[in-house]
Amino acid sequence: MQTMPYDDDSFASRPLDRRTFIKRGIAFVGAGAATPPAFLRAVFDEQSLPISTTSALTDTARRVLVVLQLGGGNDGLNTVIPVGDPAYARARPSLAINAASALPLGNGLALNPAMTGMKTLFDRGDLGVVLGVGYPNPSRSHFRSMDIWHAASFEEHSETGWIGRLLDATKHEQDSLWRAANLGSDEPLSLASRATFVPSVGSVPGYVLQMDGRLPKQSARRTQDFVEIQTRQAEALAQQAEYGGQLAFVSRTGIEAYQSTVKLQSAVKGDVPRTTYPNTPVASALSTAAQLISSDLGTGVCYVTTGGFDTHGNQSGTQNGLLGIVSNALLAFYDDLAAQGRTKDVTTLVWTEFGRRVKENGSRGTDHGTAGPVFIVGGGVKGGLHGEQPSVGSLDDNGDLKFTTDFRSVYASIIAQRFGADPRDILGQSFAPLPLFA
Amino acid sequence: MTLTTERQKIRHLLRRTGFGASPAEVDAYAALGLAGAVDRLLNPQNVDDSATDGIVATRRVKAQQDRQALFTLWHARIALTQRPLLEKLTYFWHDHFATGLNKVNNNSFMLVQNETLRAGALGGFRDLLLAVTRDPAMMVWLDNRQNVAGAPNENYAREMMELFSLGEGVAYTERDIKESARALTGWRVIAEKRDPEDNNPYPTGVVITPRQHDDGTKTFLGRTGRWGDTDIVRIITERPECAAYIGRKLWQFFAVPNPTDEMIARTSAAYFSNDTSIRAMVRTILLSDEMYSPAAYRWRIQSPVEYVLGTFRTLGMTERVLKGVRDTQGMGQTLFSPPNVAGWPGGEAWINSNTILARANFASNVTRISRPDESIDVAAMLHAAGKTRTAAEVVDYLLDVIVAGDVDPQTRSLLMEHIGGSNHFDFAQETKAGTLQGVLYLILTMPLAHLA
Repeated sequence: MQTMPYDDDSFASRPLDRRTFIKRGIAFVGAGAATPPAFLRAVFDEQSLPISTTSALTDTARRVLVVLQLGGGNDGLNTVIPVGDPAYARARPSLAINAASALPLGNGLALNPAMTGMKTLFDRGDLGVVLGVGYPNPSRSHFRSMDIWHAASFEEHSETGWIGRLLDATKHEQDSLWRAANLGSDEPLSLASRATFVPSVGSVPGYVLQMDGRLPKQSARRTQDFVEIQTRQAEALAQQAEYGGQLAFVSRTGIEAYQSTVKLQSAVKGDVPRTTYPNTPVASALSTAAQLISSDLGTGVCYVTTGGFDTHGNQSGTQNGLLGIVSNALLAFYDDLAAQGRTKDVTTLVWTEFGRRVKENGSRGTDHGTAGPVFIVGGGVKGGLHGEQPSVGSLDDNGDLKFTTDFRSVYASIIAQRFGADPRDILGQSFAPLPLFA
Repeated sequence: MTLTTERQKIRHLLRRTGFGASPAEVDAYAALGLAGAVDRLLNPQNVDDSATDGIVATRRVKAQQDRQALFTLWHARIALTQRPLLEKLTYFWHDHFATGLNKVNNNSFMLVQNETLRAGALGGFRDLLLAVTRDPAMMVWLDNRQNVAGAPNENYAREMMELFSLGEGVAYTERDIKESARALTGWRVIAEKRDPEDNNPYPTGVVITPRQHDDGTKTFLGRTGRWGDTDIVRIITERPECAAYIGRKLWQFFAVPNPTDEMIARTSAAYFSNDTSIRAMVRTILLSDEMYSPAAYRWRIQSPVEYVLGTFRTLGMTERVLKGVRDTQGMGQTLFSPPNVAGWPGGEAWINSNTILARANFASNVTRISRPDESIDVAAMLHAAGKTRTAAEVVDYLLDVIVAGDVDPQTRSLLMEHIGGSNHFDFAQETKAGTLQGVLYLILTMPLAHLA
């Protein structure tokens, strides 16, 4: 039995009865399902599997994709700035950033002055910048466009995300409950899958089932009954059509939550991160991601979301501040990974749902636009500029940039080159791969 | 489950139209009958709530200055109000017209918006949409105070149609966004410092500056004129797509996940024959057969605010609420702080491993034996109810209070075993061991307890 997520030795001698779970799994088979539901299999499989060690994993299995989503529509033109283009300065009388203050990338482009951390990564050859990323007939709705990027699909109401489908397609018998993790409270559509549980975690120390400290003798019994009730309600009620199917979902999540606390608390390394992270939510989330990656949990995907990029008014201060926070957090993350020798294993994808209107509005801000840059950090990326910067002089009918690279080509490159999967299985069609990785 | 008795229907009604209900409150609504209960809920103006108003009023100044006090102000009203539906709709409109304190950065603005939403919660939707369009917090949140003639800011115009009235891409184009943004130009917020102690100016109104307003001709949703904000709101709210969009959301909030076109036509008819009345739409829903159909039963996943404040209200823990509630944050929800302008995603998005642990740990805190000011004394509660004799009596009473007795026999017997079962139950002994607290913990964390 592994270490408990709370301080109660009495529970260690009274582990959950695995046979009971297995029996229930069989009962599900008898009830008509072809195999036990994934969540029950996870419950009993998890307890019988040894924790794999990273060093024993193959090169591909050591690879991790970290996704960092910039919610709100980050203004690409003031992130990777066409400092050499006079049309850019004309469109942005109050917002244009000049060449003298920006951080040069070459080819007439420069990073926002606040992005010193990412400039360091660029200079190390660990940052790839994919220019002009978007898709045909762009939506300028935050929520529609986010869904399109998450699902990699133009269908209304997609049920799965591109990463969720990737997880399902590359599933192995020995996968742990921590194969993918969402660092935060709201699970993004990107991670939605048919068959893969994805835990959400705020902080590692907080990821526990708390018991009443004054009743130590009750903790084991109460914990056991908690799990039993989740399981019984799943069994007794969940298969009924009533409750809109939600009872099954809640019960299953309760069981998986408990199992994943046990797994996490037993696996995570007690030592602190090897580098200091800035005191920001996005840096904390990346620090937790680094903790999972270094903990031999078999984690292959981490997802981090941050927001505030919807800069319709007084853009400069807000956007520069946010870009600085993101950039410094990424540098701290890669410094940490470098100290662990994992830079080449961990690829980070940074995306936003759209760029912003080329011409600034009357409130020193920008309205919703279209294409923008995507960043790829670490994990075998070919550092430097990829693709073609859209012309500020040749806009669409709405005054927005025309995309030059389809975002699904970026996904396809990650799927094929980092996960060894067939992008057509995940994206539904072929996309020309980009030479993003060495 | 089929709701057969009138009491079952009323409990279902209260789950949807309120935030938890104490046993006494359930009895009071049950005494009115279903039609009487709906009538009372829909007419808050006829229900005295002066005790709640009094408690809230004493905390208002502090709420203008301190964030936690602002949250407590609304939490207290939710926990204490005698007008549950009015509060539930205020919460609905807050999620619908989602505005965030982080960007607005002024408690008074948020407080005034909250009062505007409450005042208009059951009135005409046209009036509510105009009130929100001119609301100071919204003016800051979606930048309409910076929307000026010549270089419009599209933020409010876009979200007004996409999220507040029509639905994404329904009936409007990018051109309609640009044209309505022009019509909405020129407004600014007037605010003043009312209290030398308080650095936040208080919003006293909005005014239009003629030279910053574009009074030229606009063509919006196919209609041409020198439109201003009242015209834009009128044109939108005359559209059948607007009635359908709001009607669908109300059906989903109160009744069923998938309202049919015919059901939406019914709320649209109520909307158009009652001058865009929200009350008429809600009445149509609450008196419909579908509201009490098996498809309507307990499919809604409670939000953190519903779960936490509903628990406090059901257990009568109002003092605990007045001390300040922070529990919803770890479950993914803080009032006045929706994640973005679309509000909380809700539904299944409320539940993941992190939030289910936060909910369980909240239940653990509520039932902790060591914190008399923070938690409920289950033994005292059972004494007061006269439910101390057998394990079945205890379990059935607590199940009735928390989940209206809806439980499978296996879970019920497991809960009885937790307190000694049929043969070994001893009230004093179980009290001492803390297992009575444990039974309540196990009921509050039952999967079913998260559904309303």
